[in-house]
Amino acid sequence: MSRRTAIQIGTYAIMCLAVLLVPTFVDDAFLLNKYSRYLVLGILALALSLSWGYTGILNLGQAVSFGLGSYCMAMALKLRTIPVHTGKAGLPDFMVWNNVTDLPWFWAPFHSLTFAITAGIAIPVILAALLGWFIFKGRVSGVYVAIITLAWLVVVNLLIVDQQRYTGGFNGITDLAQLELFGFEFDAYGSSSFYLIAITLTVCLFFALAVTKSKAGLIFQGIRDHEDRVRYFGYDVANFKIFAFSLSAAIAGVAGMLYTVVMEFASPTFLGVPLSLSVVIWVAVGGRGSLLGATLGAIIVTGMQGALSESETFLETWTLIMGFMFVMVVLFLPKGLAGAAERILDHIAGPVDAKGGVK
Amino acid sequence: MSGTYPAHLVMRDIFMDFNGFQALSDLNLSVAKGELRCLIGPNGAGKTTALDLICGKVTPTSGEVSLDGMILNDLEEHEIARNGVGRKFQVPSVFRELTVRQNLDVAHCKRTGVWSNVVRFGRNAENDGLEKLAELVGLQDQLDTQASHLSHGQTQWLEISLLLAQDPEIILMDEPTAGMTRVETQKTANLFNKLRGSHTLVVVEHDMGFIKEIAEVISVMHQGKLLAEGSVSEIEQHPKVREAYLGSGGIAGA
Repeated sequence: MSRRTAIQIGTYAIMCLAVLLVPTFVDDAFLLNKYSRYLVLGILALALSLSWGYTGILNLGQAVSFGLGSYCMAMALKLRTIPVHTGKAGLPDFMVWNNVTDLPWFWAPFHSLTFAITAGIAIPVILAALLGWFIFKGRVSGVYVAIITLAWLVVVNLLIVDQQRYTGGFNGITDLAQLELFGFEFDAYGSSSFYLIAITLTVCLFFALAVTKSKAGLIFQGIRDHEDRVRYFGYDVANFKIFAFSLSAAIAGVAGMLYTVVMEFASPTFLGVPLSLSVVIWVAVGGRGSLLGATLGAIIVTGMQGALSESETFLETWTLIMGFMFVMVVLFLPKGLAGAAERILDHIAGPVDAKGGVK
Repeated sequence: MSGTYPAHLVMRDIFMDFNGFQALSDLNLSVAKGELRCLIGPNGAGKTTALDLICGKVTPTSGEVSLDGMILNDLEEHEIARNGVGRKFQVPSVFRELTVRQNLDVAHCKRTGVWSNVVRFGRNAENDGLEKLAELVGLQDQLDTQASHLSHGQTQWLEISLLLAQDPEIILMDEPTAGMTRVETQKTANLFNKLRGSHTLVVVEHDMGFIKEIAEVISVMHQGKLLAEGSVSEIEQHPKVREAYLGSGGIAGA
C-alpha cells in the first residue's frame, strides 16, 4: 500500500469518526434531524462521484435511483402505520381517497421490510443496468448520456405523479410509521437515525473506496481518460460502464431509503430535476474525483444553503451568495475542494512532478 | 524473405469505401509471424485505414482480414484485441490522469471481465514484472508520475510500453516516432529490433532514417493499393515507387 493510499484511508476514517461523534455534542433533536438529512445527501453525492468523477458518466438522472429507493421505504412504512390513519384492512389513506378498494398487487410484498429494503436497492440497480445497457452498448457517450438520463428522470417523475391512485401523486406518501430494524426504533429526530445514517455513510464510503482502489477502479478511470484506449486492450468498455452506473444506482437507492426515514415522507420532488441537478453542483464543489470530497461537498453546500436561507439577514440574498460561491469554485478550484486539499497533501507526502517522480 | 515465416496476418481483397471515397481498393497484404513489416506511402495512401481495419476500428466494405486463419472482420474491437492484436495510435493515447504505473496496470489485461477485476487489488504475481517494462522505455523514475506530466516523447514511449504490457501477438504501430528527437528515435529503433521475432510488428512510418534502421520488408501503399513490396534497396530502385513519390526524388530523399 502506498503512502498516499494510507493517508487517504486515514483521512476517510477520521472524517467518519468525527461524524459519528456529532450526537455526543448535539442534543437538539431538530438540529440532529437536519444534520442527518445532510449526511444522506452526502451519500447521494458519493454515488454520483463514482459514475461521473471516476468513470466519466455524467448522470443527470441520479435522482431516479434516489427517489425509487425512497418510495420503496415509504411503501413499507406506510403499510405499518397505525390502522386509525388507514382504510379497511390497512389500505393506505390516499388509496381510500382515490376510491381504490384493494391493495394493488405490487404493494403487497412491501408488508415485508426485508423485501422493501432489497427492492430499494434492486429496483434502481435493475433499471440502471437496463438503461445502461441501451446507452453503453449503443456507444452513446458524452453529453448525450447526460441528455438521455435527464429525459429518463422526467419520464419516471411524470409516471409517479400521474399514478396518483398507487403512488400518492403530487402529495407523495405521507404519514409513515417509524422504521424498526433489529429491535431498534429509528426516530427521525433521535440520535438512533443519525447513527444509522452515519454508519451507512461510512460503509458506503469505504466500499466505494475499495472499488476505486481495485483494478476495476483503475479501468473506470482509464475509460474516463481515454475510452478507446481501454477498448483496444481487450476490455468490454460497455460492461464496465454498466457496472459503474449500476453500482452508483445501488448507493443512491440506499440514500433514498434513508431519506424517507429522516424526512418521514416520500415525494415526487425526491426524483425531481432540481434535486438531480443540485447533486451535480455539490459534487463539482466538493471535487468529483474524490469520494470524500463529493460527500463533503454535498454536506457543505446543503448546510450553507440551510444556514443562509434560515437567517434573517440573508433572507433575500442567499441564492445570490450561493451562486457567487459556485462561480468562485468553478473559476479557481476546477477540481473542487478535494483538489485543493490534494495540493496541500502533495506538500506533505512529497510532490509528484515530471522530472523527479516522488521526492 | 517473408517466406521463411508461416503466414500470420492476412488482408485479402480489401475494399474500403467512405461515403464514395475509395480509401482502399483491392488491397492484399500478408504478414508473417514474428516479422517486422514497414508500411509506407504518401499521405492519403490508406496506411492508417489499413491499421484501423485490422484492429476493428472500421469494417471493410468487402474483403476479409484474418489472423492465423481466423476472420477478424465481424468481431468487436475488444474481441480482436483479446485475439492478440494491439494498436498504438498516431496521436499518443494514454490515461492522462493516471500514473505511469497505473497506466501499465490497466494495459496488463490477462483478465478482462468486470467481476474478476473488482476483486483484484495492488501487487500480485501477475503484474509483478510491469516495472521492468517501464525500465525498457526509460520511464523507471517516472512510475508515480501522472501521465499528463510526461513530455511528448515520453508519452509515445509510455504507449509503446503499454502495448508491451498488453503483450499481443501483433502490434500495430502508427507513426511511433512522430515528435521524437533523433536520440529518442534511435532508442525506439533499438527497441523495435529487440521485439522482432517475439512479436509481429506492423509499423507505419514517414521517417525513412528510422525505416532503414528496422526494415526487413517494406510494403509501399499508394492510392489505396499495394504498390510494391521488398527490401529497402529494392524499394528504392522500384520505378513505380519513384513515380508515386514524384518530385521528392523517390523515398531515398523523403
